[in-house]
Amino acid sequence: MSGLAESTEQVMFLDPAIRNWVLFPITVIMVLVGVFRHQLTILMTGEPPKPDIRDIRQAKALIRGQILAQSNSYIPLSSFTERKKFLCSAFEEGDYLKNKNAKDQSPVNMMADPKNMEVMMDGMKKQMMGIVPQTLIMGWIQFFFSGFILIKLPFPLGLRFKQMLQSGIMTPNMDVKWVSSLSWYFINLFGLRGVFSLILGGENSADGIRDMTAMGSMGAMGQQSGQPQDYNKLFMAMKDNLSIVYHEWDLANIEQRVFVKYGKQSRVFTSAAK
Amino acid sequence: MSSSLELLAEIRQSSERRPFAVLKLAEPLLNTRGVSRAGDDAWLVYEQVFVSAIDEGQIELAKAVLVILRTRFPSSQRVKRLYGMINEAVGHPDEAKTIYKEMLETDETNILASKRLIALLKSYGHIGETVKQLVAYLDIHNNDFEAWLELSNLYLTQNLYPQAAFCMEEVIMQQPANHYFHLCYAEISYSMGNFDLALKEYLRVVELSTDNVRGFYGIKLVADRIRDIRAKPKRDQNARIDDAPQPATLDRLSQLATERLVAAYNGANDTCKKTAEEWLKA
Repeated sequence: MSGLAESTEQVMFLDPAIRNWVLFPITVIMVLVGVFRHQLTILMTGEPPKPDIRDIRQAKALIRGQILAQSNSYIPLSSFTERKKFLCSAFEEGDYLKNKNAKDQSPVNMMADPKNMEVMMDGMKKQMMGIVPQTLIMGWIQFFFSGFILIKLPFPLGLRFKQMLQSGIMTPNMDVKWVSSLSWYFINLFGLRGVFSLILGGENSADGIRDMTAMGSMGAMGQQSGQPQDYNKLFMAMKDNLSIVYHEWDLANIEQRVFVKYGKQSRVFTSAAK
Repeated sequence: MSSSLELLAEIRQSSERRPFAVLKLAEPLLNTRGVSRAGDDAWLVYEQVFVSAIDEGQIELAKAVLVILRTRFPSSQRVKRLYGMINEAVGHPDEAKTIYKEMLETDETNILASKRLIALLKSYGHIGETVKQLVAYLDIHNNDFEAWLELSNLYLTQNLYPQAAFCMEEVIMQQPANHYFHLCYAEISYSMGNFDLALKEYLRVVELSTDNVRGFYGIKLVADRIRDIRAKPKRDQNARIDDAPQPATLDRLSQLATERLVAAYNGANDTCKKTAEEWLKA
């Protein structure tokens, strides 16, 4: 490699052997590892858990409340009131709850439910599948490919990145644009998503970014998406929702609207009597 | 070959019931083993052929297809219900019922089995039992508007109008923009005697679907009926006309209906036209 030039633009010539033996192999290895991971995940993923019939009933009862609240204007007031009363009392009594007797107890401990365990184990296995290859590759790159410059980035970066991207090379003056192989690894991590969706179809498990977000949320393990949701509270909330719905029948002034539609009247009179 | 497969896939997609077409398309495929070209879709094709064969009464073909499916999927619930269907087809309802009940015991949430059981009961005329099963099904899956429709029809066969109206209301809540459901609801209300509600619903039909002839007939009938009732209040105790519009509005509505009906029948052939005109004049 020739020496640094005096101008603001640092020009360096890199050995083409670097390109052949480092650039391409890293990319190729990452693609292969990604595909391998994807296939392995497909093999390892268990069947999604079969929902219990009482769970379904619970969930659909909530949906029913929602539909009633949303579409109340299409049915006459008497029907709406009938349904409102029925659903509110049902929610109050906990008729739709999975376990009516345990209504007032605190939410069930997540560990105790055997079905939940399987789901959690599956999730954890998936996360392992994501993290382990990443760590391995990073270590491998650090071990074999450190200590030299690999590429020049076309865009400038701040000085703070110097430490991360030029990890093996201690030179105070070298432009941050020149980076080591580890940064090539990161570039590949983000860039290969497109390649993977071409090769493996849309939903693939070789996505590096998803693993990183998963790593971030590993800390908040307590929040499983909706699993031990307290349906009693949800039902109470829905009941409150329903009791404050103001029913306005859509068909109240429909005679006017029909006249307007067929050209008998120019516009709808909002305050007109029937 | 592939075009037949595509056509079969289209028929599957649109859930049409066209047994003759399906069998015609599928027969060459089955004979020349072209079905294996469909890959994973082959099993869907087999299922489709099975149902069409039962529809057409070709029980032997159905049995052959069933054997193929059973060898591939020995412990499948989906194949099991096909066994139930073929039992229904040859007239062994009890075996079919046992099969479906078994399926429900192993898996309570199996929708296919619940629906087949209800269909079985209905086809054998046990309306009371059907209604009970359907109500139990709807207690859990209350967002299945087709099931509500079915229940409404069942109630109508027994002339239980209020219950049928309730079911139609559930359907309307889930599908508010479909004018046909409003039409059903309007007609049920009219039969019950809720003329004010019927009028509003007929108007809704006519608003959603321009120049809907049935809707306009309904409007004219209801408007005239309300007028008659108002003229002689003692005649019909069950009629509800409290929310009905003013007489002037009723007249205008009746007039509008007549007009639109005349316009609609202008394009029809002569006998239709004459009958309509005579009715309208009366």
